[in-house]
Amino acid sequence: MHCTIERLNFVFSKALSLLERWIGSLSTTAQSLASKQKWCFELGALVIALVSPEISERALADDPNALEKWGKTYEEKVWPIIQAKCISCHSGATPDGELDLSRFPNGETAVNAGDAWERVAKRVRLNEMPPQGSPGLNDPEKAAFHRWVDARPDQDLCHQLASDETQSWYRGYVMSRRLSRYEYGCAIRDLTGFRVPDELLPPSDGAGGLGFDTVGDALFTSPIHLEAYLRTSRAAVHALLEGDSIEPVRGRLIGLGFVHAFSSLTQDQQSIEPNAQLAAAREILSQFARRAWRRNANDSELDRLMRLFSLAIEDRIGRDAAQSQSTADFLSALQQPFQAILVSPHFLIVAEPEPETAGVQRLAPYQMATRMALLVWSSLPDEELLEIAESGRLYEPQVIQSQLRRMLQDERARALGENFGLQWLGLRDWMSSRPDKGMFPEFEEALMADAIEETVRTIQFVFSQSRPLTELLDSPTIHINARLAGHYGLEWPAHGQVNAWQKIEVKNGQRGGITTMASVLIKASYPHRTSPVLRGRWILDDVLGAKVPPPPPNVPSLEESSHGLTTASLRERLEVHRKNPDCASCHQRMDPLGFGLENYDAIGRWRTEDQGLPIDASGSLPSGETFQGPAELKRVLMNRKDEFQLHAIRKLVGFALGRDLNKFDQCVIDASTKRLQEEQRADVVLEEILMSYPFQHRYYNPAKGSQ
Amino acid sequence: MKPSHSSTLFDRRRFLRGTGVALALPWMESVQPRSVRAAEGTAPIRTAFIYFPNGVWEKAWVPDSTGPNYTLSPSLEPLADVKDSVLVISGLDKKNSHGGDGHYAKTANFLTGMPVAKTTGKDVSSGGISIDQRIAEHLRGQTPLPSLELGTEPVISGIDSNVGYTRLYGSHISWQSANRPVAKEINPRLVYDRLFGKSNSTSPDSMQSNRHLLDYVLEDAKGLRAQLGRDDQFKMDEFLDSVRGVERRIEFAMNHQERDAHLAENFVGNVPIPPNVPTDFREHIALMLDLMVLAFQSDSTRVCSLMFANDVSGRNFSFVEGVSGSHHELSHHENNESKISQYQRINRWHTEQFARFLSKLKSIPEGNSNLLDHCMVVFGSSMSDGNRHDPDNLPILVGGNGGGRLKTGQHIAVEGMVPLCNLYLTLLQKMGLPDATFGDSDGLIAGI
Repeated sequence: MHCTIERLNFVFSKALSLLERWIGSLSTTAQSLASKQKWCFELGALVIALVSPEISERALADDPNALEKWGKTYEEKVWPIIQAKCISCHSGATPDGELDLSRFPNGETAVNAGDAWERVAKRVRLNEMPPQGSPGLNDPEKAAFHRWVDARPDQDLCHQLASDETQSWYRGYVMSRRLSRYEYGCAIRDLTGFRVPDELLPPSDGAGGLGFDTVGDALFTSPIHLEAYLRTSRAAVHALLEGDSIEPVRGRLIGLGFVHAFSSLTQDQQSIEPNAQLAAAREILSQFARRAWRRNANDSELDRLMRLFSLAIEDRIGRDAAQSQSTADFLSALQQPFQAILVSPHFLIVAEPEPETAGVQRLAPYQMATRMALLVWSSLPDEELLEIAESGRLYEPQVIQSQLRRMLQDERARALGENFGLQWLGLRDWMSSRPDKGMFPEFEEALMADAIEETVRTIQFVFSQSRPLTELLDSPTIHINARLAGHYGLEWPAHGQVNAWQKIEVKNGQRGGITTMASVLIKASYPHRTSPVLRGRWILDDVLGAKVPPPPPNVPSLEESSHGLTTASLRERLEVHRKNPDCASCHQRMDPLGFGLENYDAIGRWRTEDQGLPIDASGSLPSGETFQGPAELKRVLMNRKDEFQLHAIRKLVGFALGRDLNKFDQCVIDASTKRLQEEQRADVVLEEILMSYPFQHRYYNPAKGSQ
Repeated sequence: MKPSHSSTLFDRRRFLRGTGVALALPWMESVQPRSVRAAEGTAPIRTAFIYFPNGVWEKAWVPDSTGPNYTLSPSLEPLADVKDSVLVISGLDKKNSHGGDGHYAKTANFLTGMPVAKTTGKDVSSGGISIDQRIAEHLRGQTPLPSLELGTEPVISGIDSNVGYTRLYGSHISWQSANRPVAKEINPRLVYDRLFGKSNSTSPDSMQSNRHLLDYVLEDAKGLRAQLGRDDQFKMDEFLDSVRGVERRIEFAMNHQERDAHLAENFVGNVPIPPNVPTDFREHIALMLDLMVLAFQSDSTRVCSLMFANDVSGRNFSFVEGVSGSHHELSHHENNESKISQYQRINRWHTEQFARFLSKLKSIPEGNSNLLDHCMVVFGSSMSDGNRHDPDNLPILVGGNGGGRLKTGQHIAVEGMVPLCNLYLTLLQKMGLPDATFGDSDGLIAGI
């Protein structure tokens, strides 16, 4: 490369500064071990970047020979089993489960198969593969396979972030992106106090990466977004600044945290000195822009905002901006630059501008503050966070921990439930699967809104109150209001207010945990009846993170749709169909889970019979586990809590990073898993993410300002 | 600033009179803008592309006979009144959708015909520009809105990790370019605002202020763009283009101030202000189709796309007599007679809405004929049988004869994997576009 010298220089100076900081952190011995490890690892990464490509490639694995040996074992022990028992379905133009095992005919290809073997091993371990009805693996075969998978030599992925390979992984992954619809609403609310009604918000967003709208690749901007930004900012700013006198407006601004609002204006008289008005305008614009843009506006930016102020005086009021204005005119003209701040890309776009030097670099403090606020609040950093960013202390683990704790206590942390939670659980667009009003006249939109609210509160509670993540699988505590209590057939405490939400203890296992919430039970039903298949699939997919391939083409689906069908006959039909190996591989693990929830009707009410026949909520899984009813089903799920926790962690990391995950993210996933096991509180995952290398760093593109 | 939702302006019950949904919005006759009236005989051609999800039961859809004297099939019977204005075309194929997933890889390219990139988000691609956007690009500057993209459901959230596609593919048919889907509007009230300028970016009191704002924003955006890396610059370009799009609208309004008077005289005040997103699907669809008529009638745009619903829509269709179940579920009919019958009734309901839309267009005089005669409206789905998900023998209708350029009133059955894009190319050429190919086209459709 022609820029090798520059690169060496850069790496060298970076290493020096890191070393200095590291020594600094050593002297403050209160620093946790974790932070020292981080510095070491950054140094390690830099060393890798320094050395030649051949060596850096060798560094990819601790011992390349070990991998080679592992590959050889594959050829000898595993490939023959695959050929005998798996390949007939898993090959060809349309391999089952979209897994083509014929692509791995030797050790080398097997070694490079990514995480394929972990997925295969999971299915085999649960006796889901090979499916019932096809020749299974005998015990020695299973043992050989698992022994091989478990013997994979560890790859030290944490040290690869600065390699050339990593740079290409990172290219385009975390990109500057606009605020999502949800984030936009939160940010406007926090900045202006205006709660944006649905109809004023920009259009809804799609998702990318692990299924979230925080992924820049999947966020697009159309003219109707701009129109929404114009109309919403106008409404919000109008509500904020409208008035004939300064005091109420000042009060609103101070309430929003702009504590110095109009500090130079003490009276409302028209005789205010024009310069005092201009100074006050500039001052409040500077404060407002700082919060909206997550950084200080510079002088030329403020000049341009003030120019809009003057134009508004001239256009709207028809006066010379240099004269003193009435308070009403002053406030009216101020709306224009306020609105400009909210339509500016500095507000709308989470941009992480390129620093002078390219490559993987740590985020600037303001950018870090923004990423933190977007993760926990789906909104902008507040003044405290910005000040800490300015002080340069935002990367210190104790500071991150204490800030996170503070942020989780704040009501804005509701976003973890409402934004992250609802997207994770697939509850954002339930509208098109709305229950049939003819069959369920009791159903109303308000009930669904409450059911969704229950989910939001439950997820927020687990994170903000440092509860075990497994409480989402099973918990005696539920968060409901009077309407849901009635819906669930629970006593509403006599002293309980009708509109209030309360924590209630439920002892019989009928409720508690996400799988028995009305929101989920409704979403995973058909409009007119329950579906064990949809519910089972939802548990596998969204709760346990297992892959459920779509049914192969031309295989009839397993269910009868006429609603005269009872649960009992549905069960019989499903059992007949499960004898077909094509169907069995998925349905034998999906359907039983769903049957465990048959005690809930299509709108989530408890029932013990269906059309006069008693409900049979029993199930047995390929693993041999059996259960009777939802309480026992939850126990079975608790046995698989590792899968659940891993899935939840991956989802949260994907949400936080706004991209798909790759093998270099394994460190933060492993660290989160470990701490979750040790400390049993959900918020450690957020803590690990905030402190992780991928969260705090970004790949910067060298092609600055070109094209 | 919050819009008022006065129920006196809008009477919901109006929708549910009689057999189904009555007129949602009334129209006036002879309200063409001056630009249209001035050029009688050469009224502009309007095109629309209407998508419905989950395919059709082919045996009840494709007419048995071909040519001008064909007999309408059971699912097409609602077209009886407008049969002469409709072209039924069967046998079209979308070869780039034969691989990939059952739904997502078929919806996103309904109007592009090109391969859909298999991705959960990174490098999203529908393979190319969609036909509506190609036409909008060609007609740019002639109407206040270059195009209108409508739907009834929010973008489907999440990804389908099992098939490896982001679900946003199932929610977009309009693509400004292969990598840039155009967001659709689902709120009837906001569509109305865009057409008739109440409290929107071109209303007189906010126009000047918005121009200043947009100037300011453009400058910020250009400055920020220069600080970003290449990938991020693409995203900023989208933002810049969107700003310019709104700017052009404002410019158009300023240069055509006579339109304001025309709209004020003929539309604003006469057309009831529609509500925000209604919960009743029939009401929602009726409003969206009516707004399309109004958009054409007022010459606010000449290109529209509408998605009746997102793909894989599980909407409950029990409001149709004889149906008890949801759309996607019933489309997987397993060759079970009861399900097929319900599936077919849902198909027929869709045709009814299309027929009503065409009738409304026809009821509006324009020049020496009527608005429908100046339209070409493609109506169809991106697969044939919902049970098999096959992207061949697509159910496609075209309403309106495009100013006499299109031979409607016949059933054409093409044979041998003729690309859907051949129809699109034919329509483009009839509109006078110079394009020699579109999508995966390999020729023109003869005889239309």
